[in-house]
Amino acid sequence: MKRIFKIYTPFINAGMQETATYRVNWVFYILGSVLGCFVSYFIWHAVFLSGSGETMNGFSLPQMIVYIFLIFLTSTMIGSDAAWAVGEEVRDGSIAMRLIKPVSYNATFLFQELGNKLLTEMFLVVPLIAGLEIVRTVIVGRVEFSVVNLLIYLCSCVLAYLINFFFNICFGFLAFVIKYLWGANMMKNCIVGFLSGAIIPLSFLPETLGRIFMLLPFASLNYTPVMIYMGVYQGTELLYYIGLQVFWALFFFGLSKLLWVVSVRRLSVQGG
Amino acid sequence: MIQVENLRKEFKKTVKEPGLKGSFKSLFRPKTERVVAVDDISFEVPKGEILGFIGPNGAGKSTVIKMLTGILTPTSGRCTINGKNPTVSRKSYVKEIGVVFGQRTQLWWDLPLRETYGVLKEIYEVDDKSYKERMAFLNETLDLESFISSPVRTLSLGQRMRADIAASLLHSPKVLFLDEPTIGLDVVVKDNIRRAIEQINRQEQTTVILTTHDLADIELLADRIVMIDKGRNVFDGSVGELKTRYGQIRELNFVTDSPDPKAALDYLRHFSIGEEDVSVKCEGSAVKVRFNSSAVPVSDILAYTLETVHVNDISVKDADIEEIIRRLYKQGVE
Repeated sequence: MKRIFKIYTPFINAGMQETATYRVNWVFYILGSVLGCFVSYFIWHAVFLSGSGETMNGFSLPQMIVYIFLIFLTSTMIGSDAAWAVGEEVRDGSIAMRLIKPVSYNATFLFQELGNKLLTEMFLVVPLIAGLEIVRTVIVGRVEFSVVNLLIYLCSCVLAYLINFFFNICFGFLAFVIKYLWGANMMKNCIVGFLSGAIIPLSFLPETLGRIFMLLPFASLNYTPVMIYMGVYQGTELLYYIGLQVFWALFFFGLSKLLWVVSVRRLSVQGG
Repeated sequence: MIQVENLRKEFKKTVKEPGLKGSFKSLFRPKTERVVAVDDISFEVPKGEILGFIGPNGAGKSTVIKMLTGILTPTSGRCTINGKNPTVSRKSYVKEIGVVFGQRTQLWWDLPLRETYGVLKEIYEVDDKSYKERMAFLNETLDLESFISSPVRTLSLGQRMRADIAASLLHSPKVLFLDEPTIGLDVVVKDNIRRAIEQINRQEQTTVILTTHDLADIELLADRIVMIDKGRNVFDGSVGELKTRYGQIRELNFVTDSPDPKAALDYLRHFSIGEEDVSVKCEGSAVKVRFNSSAVPVSDILAYTLETVHVNDISVKDADIEEIIRRLYKQGVE
């Protein structure tokens, strides 16, 4: 374990340095995501104003605000570019350079991306949560913030990230078959966005459909952590959803190992 | 010790008919065909040898190297390197080898060069003391000091290649694979890199497998040559053997003041040989005769030439390896 840590920490380090190299790009990336988040806020605000009651499908306006900003924060935190990264390496053949090193292919991606993300998250989580809670306290008129929920939320995010990462690795291996992943990746992002509750809360959907979606791995990505933060899941329900996350993380971890063994055999390095 | 037995690799390739119409067709019903990139290749390399691996573009050199380094899985056949099978035990196998692909880099594109070496040190579990000694040694042979703090993306091609070679040697590999290590480099850097390869081979008994199109690399470095063409092994032997086997071609150069040397000298009829064994080229008063010395002895050609025309200056040259290989590439081997 200690050895594994020693081998892969340089990847975290390198990932961080890479992000820091293109500082301006990074600032624009964060600004862009925050802007998108505000757009979605104004849309929901308008929806609520045109609605009849105080609540909509069980969500009050302050709750909806928390939901929107948390979904944004969660999807940034758990976001993974692994599918794209694997696809690009397969497309331009640079996968060869990773294969000649005595390291696990998936693990190098994981740790490099963790390095990339650590930097982003340090600058995002604290101000966003603080800002959100201040706004919420002002609107609602009392403190609804729970440290316990925040801590469970963060753990749940780690699980969600692992699910997302290994799911993306599995998806990325598609590149071994279809060679170029851009289109498939667009489609995947769209579907995952919808199924994970990033576009509308899953409880807004018809009940049966919502139930089915909750069992799919994608609900574990965004919806579950946000519900935990908002204190919707308690007790056994909470344990059930965390358990489901653990299951999906292990499932995609196993699947990625299996697919790796299968696909590396059919690898044909493109471009000399 | 490297053993390659009956190695074969096939690829599936989609064939696209020409033009837009062809693109549409292949979008809905792609036609595939099997391409045999490497066809039944066998050879052995003993420890400490430098093997030159040559062949025209598309001969399958890189595919063989990729199978030997565990990147590609052979369709059939076996390769064993130091008793290990690259595709079966990839992680423990690649620990013992160093690889440089001239057209790609293993360096971290956005980080200073020094950081890449730091990462490699951990990956290969090189301890601090050996790392320091190794860096000092590589610094001396490859002269990295002046750019070791610059990000890799700012390096020139020559610097990058030196850095890449150093990266492949950091963990003192037993076998070094170099796929076109001198591609696109100037004479000074080429020379620098050749000397480094030679030195490492001599000092550490590192086995080196080298593919290249620069035949000077082969003549200066390789103990042995394996040549492949269209995926098949066409020659396996030393540089000297290649010369004796295919290199009976000599070149006779002389300057004459006779008016029409080409008409006067009728090698074909005099020695009753075919056109494939002799060719004559005149440029003003300089004449160049290329002939096969196994068909006509050098002394006979010289005697006949000297008595037929008046010669001022004359010399006979051995065909160089480049000439041999050019001929082999062109006509293929029986």
